[in-house]
Parts: sequence; structure tokens; C-alpha cells
Amino acid sequence: MSNVIGIIRALNSGVKHLAVKRFTLRYPEQKLKFVGDGFQYNPEIGVGIAGLRGRHILFHENCTGCQLCSVACEGIAEAISMVKVAETWKHNKKAIMPQIDYGKCVFCGLCVDACPFYALYMTNDYELSSFTKSALIYTPAQLAIKPKISQDVEIKISDRGASHG
Amino acid sequence: MTTQLPPGMHIETVDEKIMTLNVGPQHPGSGHMRLIIKVDGDYIVSCDPDPGYVHRGEEKMAEYRNYIQNIPHLERPVIHDSSNILYPYCLGVEELLGIEVPERAKYIRVIAAELNRCIYILYWLAIYGIFLGHSTMFMWPAGDRELFIDLLEAMSGARVTHAYLVPGGVRNDLPSNFEERCLRQVAYFEKRLKEYEAIFYQNPLLKARTEGSGILSRTDAIRLGTTGSVLRASGVDFDVRKKEPYDVYENLDFQTIVMKEGDSYARSRVPYLEMFESCRIIKDALKKMPKSGSVRTKLKPNPKGGNDEVYRRVESGRGAIGYYIVSNNRPEPYRVKISVGSFRNLICMPYLLKGEKLGNMPAVYWGLNYWPVEADR
Repeated sequence: MSNVIGIIRALNSGVKHLAVKRFTLRYPEQKLKFVGDGFQYNPEIGVGIAGLRGRHILFHENCTGCQLCSVACEGIAEAISMVKVAETWKHNKKAIMPQIDYGKCVFCGLCVDACPFYALYMTNDYELSSFTKSALIYTPAQLAIKPKISQDVEIKISDRGASHG
Repeated sequence: MTTQLPPGMHIETVDEKIMTLNVGPQHPGSGHMRLIIKVDGDYIVSCDPDPGYVHRGEEKMAEYRNYIQNIPHLERPVIHDSSNILYPYCLGVEELLGIEVPERAKYIRVIAAELNRCIYILYWLAIYGIFLGHSTMFMWPAGDRELFIDLLEAMSGARVTHAYLVPGGVRNDLPSNFEERCLRQVAYFEKRLKEYEAIFYQNPLLKARTEGSGILSRTDAIRLGTTGSVLRASGVDFDVRKKEPYDVYENLDFQTIVMKEGDSYARSRVPYLEMFESCRIIKDALKKMPKSGSVRTKLKPNPKGGNDEVYRRVESGRGAIGYYIVSNNRPEPYRVKISVGSFRNLICMPYLLKGEKLGNMPAVYWGLNYWPVEADR
């Protein structure tokens, strides 16, 4: 008899959830909102600023071609290689800037920690899939573009349960 | 016809009644490892676990990378519990390099570790549920896990592989309004966790399958050297967080969950009850945490350890994880040895499965909280 009561109780606790709003969000239409504009780093105090570690953004006016990001990546993913750029900057005599292969990148963000010139940050853009492997290699010009993102859904918690609206 | 066999090999004699079954290694519920099971009818006569299919040489790789570059590599064995597997590494390297950790960073590390423990246990519980044929118990923990993933994503910037703990503190400070958001989601989760009780843990169907199966006695648990929830489910009160408190665990208010039965049911229930304690720790740590201050001690580029060695361990979701690190005046460690809970719990598999029904194998196997990738490293 106690077994029957146990099974009814178990069923009952599941049935209650028929009336509760679903927890998942409808991904391509709805996107979760993140904290800030992506992971950044303050080299003066040596502490990062919280944010999603997505695709990088490269500020050409700050990059000196020092290769520290590439050196940091060397033992981790080997995703960053330094390439020649056509632009001429006074502070970048060699005219080299990082090019990132997202087929290899593990998004650990240690390259951002390595940059002492506020040139390399990460953004909230995480939709990087492509049909070819070569399209995953982002040149310095592609990395300079600020991503357009519309992420606005937040989790809502009420007495009846949690949902993403 | 006689064939010359290589030394050490022999032809197995086949019994008429005994059949050999390979469970795995192609992942039919075993993980990437193989269990060689011999059955007599429906009963298991012997079991020989055969790990090693996902060995990736993490320990050797660590000898060629400096102390910071090792961070993303060393969290790979258990990406679901990445903060906890990095924790002892950070503690050890801090001791080697003589780094002081700021007080606020210690609390943030404890919060990250406890959130990650919940993520791991929920993931494990989801698999445990589905392999016992309870699909609701797969959906619920897998869904509620998102609450904690969202929190750690706000903290560290990544959903699964956080690379958040570093020698000297944490990578970045908490975002604004994190405390309020964390408390709200943890309070909701605790309410949700109580619903698991009726649908799963008090479910007579689960009890019939797990109670009294795969009993590991207290003496055997100690003799075989098990750790974590397996040890605590057999009635041994041992938790590294209590016995050798690291960082700020001694200031926090929580209990060790101990059950006496030592069967599959107890082994599945101990991690569940530990999630309540994890929630308590998170709430307590948020209350006691210094509200401002530094979170990371700045290191020199390419720091070098002296001629020294260190062993530090922490409690993870699967038991004690220990790191033995040797340095020899170079920026890279000379040797990194990882001692993980999964591998040490695997040893009791032959003892637990002997005489069990084959149908009880998933309950016993997943109850051990075994994670093949971590065990093979």
C-alpha cells in the first residue's frame, strides 16, 4: 500500500508542472542577456572586468604588435598568429597584428590578460559557426568590427517557478 | 594447429554457463571505459573494470607549460567541475611561489567552487536518473543546472570551462548586483530541490532498484581507499573541507552528510543532500564576504618556483582531488601529479558488482560517481 502512495505522490509532483511555464528560452528568437560588454582586463591593477568571453575585438589604434597575446596562446591553443597589416601606425613599426583562428581558440581569455596596451578585449558575440574552416580565421580587420548583438532575455523567478519570459 | 602466443597472453577457457559481456567502451551508459563482466544467467560472477580509453597526458603536458598556461589545460579532465579541479593546483602553486591571496578572493573562490559542485552533481544526477529509466529526473536537473551555469557565466565569462581560479586569486571581480541575483537563484533552487524528494528519492520504484544493492561496508570503504560521497555513504565522516579546511571553509557554516547504509541508494542520496549544504555555504559566504577589496595578487611575468615540492587537496564533487607539484627553479613545474577521486572509487567496482543482477549494474556504476575522463587524465 505504501508503494502505491509513493507512486501517486511521485506522479503528483510531476503533474503539478503541467501548469508551470517552461524554463527554456527559444534560442534563435530570444537570446540571454549577459553582464557588461564582454571580458576586459585592466593591466594597471592586473584584474579583469567581468563579462562573457566571446569573440575578440582588436583596437588597431592601441595595438603595438608586441606579440604578447600570441606568446600567451602558444602553450594553450596556438590560435593566435601575427600577420602583416597594410595600415601604418607610429607605435606599430613592424605593422603586425594578431589573427585569431576560432577553430582552435578555447576562449580562456588569457590573451586578454596578457595585453598591456588595452588593445585586445572580448565581446558578447558567440555565434561564430561557419561552413568552411577558413572562414573561422578572423583577420585583424575582421576583429576590429564591433559585433551587433541583441541579447535581452533575462531569467524571471516568481512563486510559480522560473522562466525566460 | 598450435599458435605461438606472445609472452603474457593466454587463451581463455570458456565455461559453458558463464558468458563474458563487454560494457563499453563505446559509451552505452558506461562512459568511455569498459567493464568486462562475466555473467551466470542474470547474475554477475566477476567484473573487471578497464579504464584508460581517454588518457590525454595532462600531467606530462603540464611539464612544458608555465604556471599560468597550465590553467586551461588542467581543467579539461572534468569540465563540469572545472573550478574544483583547478582549486588544489592554485593552492599548491600559491604555496610554491609564496603568493598571498586577498581575503575577498578567497570567498569568491569558495562561491565558485560550490556553484560548480552543484553543477557537477546536477549533471551526474541527470545521468543517474536517465540510466535508471527515469526521464523526468534527466530533464529537471539538466534544466535547473542552467541556473548555476548562468551564475558562473556572469562571474567568469564562460559557461563550462571557466578558467576562473588562478594562483593569486581569481581572474576578475564579481559583476554588480551579483549577490542579489545569486541569492535569488539559490533560494529558488533550494525550493526546487525539495521537489526531487517526492519524484525520485521517495519513489518506490527507485528504492526497489537501489536499496540493498551493491553494499559497501564501512571497513571495506576505508580498506579500498574510496573517497567522497562513496566513503560518506558508507558511514565514514570524512570531508576535506571539514578535516583540512582550505581558504575560508573553517569560517563557514555547513555540515558533512553521512549515511550509514552504504548501498546504492545511500550513494545516490549523499550528493543530493550535499547540494543543500552547498547552497548554505554560498549564502553564508556571500554574507561574510568583504564587500570590496582586491581579488588578485599581481604576479611577475613567468614566475619561477624554488626547489620545492607541495601537495594540496580539496573536496570535489567526486571526492578528494590532490595535486603534487614539484618545481626546480624554472617557470614550468618539474612534475604535476593529479590524484583524483574517480580513479580511487573505481577500485570497489569488482567488489560491489559480484553477485548483483546485471540490471542493477547502472545503479551501482553511476552511484560510484565515476568520471572516466578525470580518472584517465
